[in-house]
Amino acid sequence: MPDPVQSNPGANKTLTLATKPFAPDDDAALREALKRCSPSTFEAAVQFRKTGNADHMPAVVIGVIERFVEPDLRSKLKDADDDLRLIEDLGIDSLTMMEIVILVEDVLQLTINNDELRNLRTVGDVKTFIDCKIRGLPLPRPTKFLPIEHIGAVMPVQPPFLFLNEASVSSTGANGKYKITGQEFFLQGHFKDNPIMPASIMLEALGQLAVLYLLEGASTEPGKAIGSNTIFFTGCEGVRAHRMCKPGDILTLSIKPKRMKMPLATFEGAIRVGQEKAVIAEDITLTFAYVESAVAPAAVESAGQPAPEVQPSETPPLRVAINA
Amino acid sequence: MPRVFITGLGFVTSIGNDASSVAASLREQRHGFELYPPFQKPDIACKVIGTIKGFSTDSVDPEDWTFPSRYAIKRETIRSMAPHGLFAHCAMIQAVADAKLAESDISNPDTGLFAASGGSPMLTYYHHERMLKLGPARCSPLGIVASIVGTLNFNLVAAFKIQGASCGFSSACASSAHALAYAHDEISLGRQKRMFIAAGEDGNRDAILPFAGMRTLSLQTDPNLASRPFDVARDGFVGTGGGTVLVLESEDEVARRGVTPYCELAGWGQASDGYNVAISHPDGTGSKTAMENALKATRISAAEVDYVNAHATSTLIGDISEARALKSVFGELGFRPAISSTKSLTGHGLSLAGAMETGFSALLMREGFMPGSAHISNLDPACEGLNILRATVNQSPKVVLKNSSGFGGANVALLLRRA
Repeated sequence: MPDPVQSNPGANKTLTLATKPFAPDDDAALREALKRCSPSTFEAAVQFRKTGNADHMPAVVIGVIERFVEPDLRSKLKDADDDLRLIEDLGIDSLTMMEIVILVEDVLQLTINNDELRNLRTVGDVKTFIDCKIRGLPLPRPTKFLPIEHIGAVMPVQPPFLFLNEASVSSTGANGKYKITGQEFFLQGHFKDNPIMPASIMLEALGQLAVLYLLEGASTEPGKAIGSNTIFFTGCEGVRAHRMCKPGDILTLSIKPKRMKMPLATFEGAIRVGQEKAVIAEDITLTFAYVESAVAPAAVESAGQPAPEVQPSETPPLRVAINA
Repeated sequence: MPRVFITGLGFVTSIGNDASSVAASLREQRHGFELYPPFQKPDIACKVIGTIKGFSTDSVDPEDWTFPSRYAIKRETIRSMAPHGLFAHCAMIQAVADAKLAESDISNPDTGLFAASGGSPMLTYYHHERMLKLGPARCSPLGIVASIVGTLNFNLVAAFKIQGASCGFSSACASSAHALAYAHDEISLGRQKRMFIAAGEDGNRDAILPFAGMRTLSLQTDPNLASRPFDVARDGFVGTGGGTVLVLESEDEVARRGVTPYCELAGWGQASDGYNVAISHPDGTGSKTAMENALKATRISAAEVDYVNAHATSTLIGDISEARALKSVFGELGFRPAISSTKSLTGHGLSLAGAMETGFSALLMREGFMPGSAHISNLDPACEGLNILRATVNQSPKVVLKNSSGFGGANVALLLRRA
């Protein structure tokens, strides 16, 4: 049985879908349906309908969401990461969500059931969801929001060396926040009378978020789970610190899996403070191992058998969704 | 029982979109009629309606609508409105300002809102047709709350965060008179300190034209002659829409806030014809009893009534029924209050009429005049003996009676008294 594979969305192979021929009447109807969306939304919708190229889909979905967000909140959407929350951040209520869905259905020519909508909490959830619908794939697991109690309960790392206050984990990555309080013990000496968060600790925080992803977000084989005591740091590359971070700063951390093949998982990671770049890590690699899951020990491989061949690296991100 | 006062008014009507322009139109007998473009077709005999100026609500999509820029309404608020929801929302904003209400005076458990409208036939049709054509999954999630009867209370209660009593009233052209009446009771029974009464009608093709089926619309093609209650040549009512909001407050609230009310809403009475689903009783028996009940409830004698704002819609049978009822309540006892129908200027606002015309009555008590009934060339002989005003009299009435009647023979009489 193959290991689940997480691939970089940037390596997405273009997927083209068979669509009905796009008639001039359709153009007029589409223009009318999207008359309150940006011109680029309309353009993307036309391209999608003409070519069936799913790469145009995110622009359509974001354009439609934008049209239903009150003007004073639209700027949030502009620089949004996929973790932007529909209700809390954008003020979209469930009725507006229905309006968004109906317009998306209309424009992208697909049908969405009510019970499929319940778990859409973030912009990223919506994008992934629509992508799955268009490609006819099963739907992904929804983004999980983990409070500090949950993080503390599952992580092998504990205070005072835990650098996550909150986190959200989806099948495509994880996001977290950490506020530098100034009470961190190492800030007494780093530096003298000048507390600055060590870059090595920031890298550690990204590593911890990657650990959380492996424990809460990554797909595993049936009957298996990644053991929390089996995960260790092995290496990193392409690390650059762009901004000094001091007490009071809120670090916004994000990691995305790039490759995952037992026993190694590689992530890209970034830390921002507000809109400012603080740290970039091109590769953070962890080792991990499976343990027997407490529940449903179904198809168990015989011991010593090597991990089978995995899917090619150009697997589209929707594989993530299938596996989820 | 605590007394109840009218402390705020807001209008979007065919004769003006604020209290001062409405007062001027009433005093100067300026009507609000125009040839209505959707009716200028060979198969539509009715040509004229009382139009709402400064608003465009022809589209089924509220985001297409245009309205005076002084009203700022968010998408999430307007998306669930019918056209008359917009009119009443704007009237509500006026009424709140007119009554000098703070936000805390509006949203609290002691303040309620009663509403009346006939729903939105235009939106009902649009959403229903869409459902049948495209299936229920493609229907707007807000189609129902935008179109059914009750849309006005749903929307206003949500938009203004009303926490007290809320309810809609449906007795056709007596609806908003009923809403006012029961709002009065809500305060006089001590249940609420303040009530908003909101009434509205779309007043467009889909709201008005179905009345052509009962041959009750005026076929007059000259806007200057269109609505002529009590005239012998009257030929039906002229439709109109719009919105009106009144603020009612208890005596204690008026004193606490130190505001000057327009007048007291002294009380009311009602009675039904028990006669026909759509035709009023030829002798106006229900209307007569409603007026008598209102006088009894308020301990006001018929002799004290100075002015009657009649229901009179300009239909052949209805006007005579009311005239007969007025004769038996006043004329036969030797009393001659001034009578007029402001529908001669506005047209018939259906569910909106009772609240709109009570608002007019409150306004003219403060402004000190009694408007003439416009467009009477030859008074119907059946009205002889009644003091039907043809021209405006610059004199402030002390007591005003407001009549309203609706389908099924529902009749409501409201009594206003100078504060």
